[in-house]
Amino acid sequence: MDTKAPARRLPALLGGAVILALMAAMPLLGTGYILQLATDTLTAIVLAYGWNLISGFTGYLSFGQVSFYGIGAYTTALLVIHTAVPWYLAVLVSGVVGALAGLILGPIMLRLRGILFALGMLGLARILSVVFNIWGFAGASLGLSLPSALMPVPIYYATCLLALAAFGITAFFTHSGFGLDAMSLNEDEEAAAALGVPATRVKVIAFMLSAALPAIAGGLVAWNRSYMDPSSAFNPSLDLQVVVFVLFGGIGTLWGPFLGTLILMLAGEQFGVSFPNLQLALYGVVVVATVLAFPGGLNGIANRFGWLRRPVVRAPRGEIRGAPPPAGAAPPPGALLELRDITVRFTGLTALSGVSLTLSPGETLCVIGANGAGKTTLFNTITGFVTPTAGQVVYLGQTITALPTFRRARQGLARSFQIPRLMPSLTVWENVLLASRHGRQADRAEAHTAWVLEALGLAPMWSLPASRLSPGHQRQLEFARVLGLQPTVVLLDEVMAGMTAEERETVRAVVRRLPEFGVAGTILVEHVIAAVVDLCDRMVVLDFGRIIAEGPPREVLANPDVVKAYLGEAL
Amino acid sequence: MTSSRLALTFRGAVRLAAPLLGGLAMLAGGAGAARAAKPIVIGTTISETGPLATDASYQLKGIQLGIAEVNAHGGWLGRKLVLKYYDDKSSPGAAVRLYQRLITLDKVNLLLGPYSSLVTIAIAPLINKYHMATLEPGASVPDIYEKGNKWNLMNTADSTTYLHQLLPLAKASGAKSVALLGLESAYSLACYHARVAQAKQLGLKIAYSTTYTLQTDFSSIALAIKNAKPDVVLECGYYPDSVNLVRSLHEQGFAPRFLGETVGPVEAAYLKALGPLSNRVYSNSGWWFNFKTPGNKAFIAAYEKMFHSLPDYHAAAGFTAIQVLGAAVTATHSLDQNKIRAWIVTHSVSTIQGKIHDNAYGHTIGAVQDMVQVQHGVLKLIRPAALAQAKPEIPYTGH
Amino acid sequence: MLALQLLVNGVLLGGLYVLVAQSLNLIFGVMGVVNLAHGAVIALAGLFTYWFTAQTGASPLLAVPIAFVAAALAGAVGQRLLIEPVMRAGGSKSELLSLIVTFGLSYILIELALQLFGADFVSVPYLQSSWTLGSLAFGKALVVAGAFAAGMSALLYLWLNHTMSGKALLAASQSPTGAICCGIDVARVRVTAFAIGVGLAAAAGALVIVIMPVAPQTAADLNLLAFVIIALGGLGDYVGVAIAAVLLGIAQSVAGYYLGGNAEYVLPYVLLLAVMVALPGRFRRVR
Repeated sequence: MDTKAPARRLPALLGGAVILALMAAMPLLGTGYILQLATDTLTAIVLAYGWNLISGFTGYLSFGQVSFYGIGAYTTALLVIHTAVPWYLAVLVSGVVGALAGLILGPIMLRLRGILFALGMLGLARILSVVFNIWGFAGASLGLSLPSALMPVPIYYATCLLALAAFGITAFFTHSGFGLDAMSLNEDEEAAAALGVPATRVKVIAFMLSAALPAIAGGLVAWNRSYMDPSSAFNPSLDLQVVVFVLFGGIGTLWGPFLGTLILMLAGEQFGVSFPNLQLALYGVVVVATVLAFPGGLNGIANRFGWLRRPVVRAPRGEIRGAPPPAGAAPPPGALLELRDITVRFTGLTALSGVSLTLSPGETLCVIGANGAGKTTLFNTITGFVTPTAGQVVYLGQTITALPTFRRARQGLARSFQIPRLMPSLTVWENVLLASRHGRQADRAEAHTAWVLEALGLAPMWSLPASRLSPGHQRQLEFARVLGLQPTVVLLDEVMAGMTAEERETVRAVVRRLPEFGVAGTILVEHVIAAVVDLCDRMVVLDFGRIIAEGPPREVLANPDVVKAYLGEAL
Repeated sequence: MTSSRLALTFRGAVRLAAPLLGGLAMLAGGAGAARAAKPIVIGTTISETGPLATDASYQLKGIQLGIAEVNAHGGWLGRKLVLKYYDDKSSPGAAVRLYQRLITLDKVNLLLGPYSSLVTIAIAPLINKYHMATLEPGASVPDIYEKGNKWNLMNTADSTTYLHQLLPLAKASGAKSVALLGLESAYSLACYHARVAQAKQLGLKIAYSTTYTLQTDFSSIALAIKNAKPDVVLECGYYPDSVNLVRSLHEQGFAPRFLGETVGPVEAAYLKALGPLSNRVYSNSGWWFNFKTPGNKAFIAAYEKMFHSLPDYHAAAGFTAIQVLGAAVTATHSLDQNKIRAWIVTHSVSTIQGKIHDNAYGHTIGAVQDMVQVQHGVLKLIRPAALAQAKPEIPYTGH
Repeated sequence: MLALQLLVNGVLLGGLYVLVAQSLNLIFGVMGVVNLAHGAVIALAGLFTYWFTAQTGASPLLAVPIAFVAAALAGAVGQRLLIEPVMRAGGSKSELLSLIVTFGLSYILIELALQLFGADFVSVPYLQSSWTLGSLAFGKALVVAGAFAAGMSALLYLWLNHTMSGKALLAASQSPTGAICCGIDVARVRVTAFAIGVGLAAAAGALVIVIMPVAPQTAADLNLLAFVIIALGGLGDYVGVAIAAVLLGIAQSVAGYYLGGNAEYVLPYVLLLAVMVALPGRFRRVR
């Protein structure tokens, strides 16, 4: 996903105006087939945008959004048949019902990942289709006939409005901090949580929106056709079609669903009319050929010419110049962080055993140990990726043992990962903004982001995707994200592994500067002892999940137990 | 490489734009004055693909044959007939749009209904909005016509008459109990409920009954039937489930004295798929080879010549629709939908299926589905008795 | 006795599921290709078998090796031309791309089947009766299919876990880069495995046509069923899939008897959801 800095305003506005004018003028072509085709195409566009919200942005591939389409269709049908509610209200109620269904199902279904989520959603659609196929009140397999009210033009314009709304919501996703959160889940959900992104909330909201859109569309279709039956309402191939539309156009993009659906819908229709005997095969050939030639879909093709690129979220205007943030409230007296008798057991393996630690204000604590000594587990426990089997984590006087990761991050407990877990297709700016924006107002977040980037020398490359950075710059960016959180305590996991002496020096400089960024305490996990020894105020040695030595670095390193356990006999 | 792919896309785009532009041009030019020789265009959709494709293809062939025959005799009102049809993929949604196309873009003169009740119900609002008198050779659920869809005109026996002669026959031969099965679809449930009511009326014990969704495993249903030991097993379904049920009953080692299935057994593929297991299975057909109706022999001969296979009742229904439509067009001497509809609901037409007459709702009266039985690899008409080609062979043995 | 017969029917149904799912398990579960053309291959092979027996009068079992070889060759070509390019993207991206490519491919194959064999449901009357043991009935066609499925599962399991080429495949799927470093010709491993997977799907198709009527449009249903079973049994887990398939078969057999056809039909999906909701950890492990 390429991005660009300045939007080319004029062509975009003109293009938009042409599309809007064409949409508005469509009924002039007659109210029959062409308008029906336009309505059906717009409906498919809505479904495509709806699917794209959950599957394109957060990366949860769904094969069952048709469930919400069906639920919406039946809600409208039943309301119109049994109550005096006018159709447009019924359709809106469908949207609300769809969103509620999403709210209830989201937290359950979104625990699954990858193709399993897709299959789970598909199973849901199948179950609903059988339920509606035998449910007498909903007309069972015969379906429901609505009072005939064929009014193609109002329905067409209603569908237009819905499509515009779907486009607007998608634009919100590509342009806003919330959208940034959603995209970060697609890239790396755990890393996002460590940057303060409330993953569950974000994906459930995305899921609700991607349920409400098809539900409203379903309601409109039911009213438009004056008829709805289970096989049309919960047709699994509808979802598959939508998936292909979006992938063809470009997944996770603003224009992809529109372009992909428009072209494939019209191509499919035309193949059906012109080559009835080869329709399926031609359709298949177009899909296969496009994907092989252009894996990014149509949007990817446009990107090559510099068109339709996603603008950087809340991109800085003009030169990046940040000011250091106002000094935060001083941390309360007493320990910053305290581990009390932490034990972590995985099946058949004790990773940490009765570990107690304290980090005092102004202190830099180094944790060393051989591979498998439990260093990373220690960090995972402090940041909430791992729930300890026993013991407590106390941060700023508060017990946070059960607090979710993103809340810890927001309270200023930040970590880096052993291998940088950047969001590769997001820009440098967005990677840091993701961390900066939580708990801050938008302009403050942007100012903070700018300052961090400038301070770490990343400002010149702010608009590059993180994947394009050199390994050294990627490390810097990992730091920048940590500082974006404006943390009180920073946990750095082997930040100097595999670095040249020169690179190490840069990192060491940053670590020394941490107090400037308001960091009150630091824990370093490190392999390369020589590189950190002069940074440490205190050193802790882990061996097989236990603390075997603790104290000033010189003393600890002289301890024969440590030499034996960790450094080996050679020293 | 890249440029050729782009070219492909470009050509596609041009092709896509063509109909839209064509539509514009038509609107701009208005409907030109009809020339005398201009053919009459009949529009329909057919499920060439999707689950309904097998039966639907027969209906299409019947229609095509009917049109070929009419054209061979000079057409209607001195004009030739042209059939314009699309594949609705067995999907109600696709059919709605395609009928829109037929009516508003292709501006066909006359319409015929699609195959299956489900697709027909979906297009009914449209047909009735545009006041197109549409003969329905493939929609047998009575509800469609009785519920105010005045422009849908039934043209076939309704699905409550499917296998209606089996239970009386079984009772007369001493049967006491019956197992009834119905597929969860529009036509088959109408059939199922009619047979349940009939069994009660005849005082037959319903030893087992179930409705089911399209599925492949019938072993449990077959086992339940075996344990209920009914004298009659009657299933309202489609082809795949009819084959699966017979197989499963045989695998579980149960042969009811009477085994009847709708739709499936009259297809040639049924006998091929089941071999000897199909022997003595009952089914139903709205038309038969030995009907002494005018033109029936010629219909069969022409069908064989054109398609190198034998027609079935779906084909006959398609052919019949052209016969009825032709009668209405010639009698009213017009293509006016109002006149055609008015004529059809007030006149009976002599067709290869027999005399067809629609009541004021457009519900075909008098037409029923008659009963056939597989006898040593050949389907024979056994009811009504007057036309019977053979006596029923009892019991079903499973070989 | 009833309970035993329900059990037998369930196990045999499970055998059919293993037959349909196991080759997809190789392509999807192990290799990570979300193959939406799997059902189309089964249907196409089934229809070919129908045509073959009608033309030659030979046993449909003779069509099994023919279908296997023909499909494996076609699969190898298809993999090189269509799948390999998208597999190079790696990770979830190649999963997505393979989904859309095989979706397009399934349309092409279904159209091919329609053109070659027509839209009708067909089935081959073969092994229609049962072997009986006491009062227990064992449907012959299902027993043969189940035996084939069991043999296929065992061979796949042995191949993947106890041979060099099988281990090379596992390595190449889990970490293509790592495998390349170990001197494994990853592209060749993938093309071999894909060809075997497609070949086995076709062999399964030749047996499915004996068990139930198949038409080109059956493809989507077969595909879905295979995916559900793999999800229940575990991606790439041959023993797990076999066990899940048999348990599902038994559950459906019992549900069909006591609750009727609708309940039986919907059961796989209800079970899938129930297992996913009750044991999310079991599924979280994957990817």
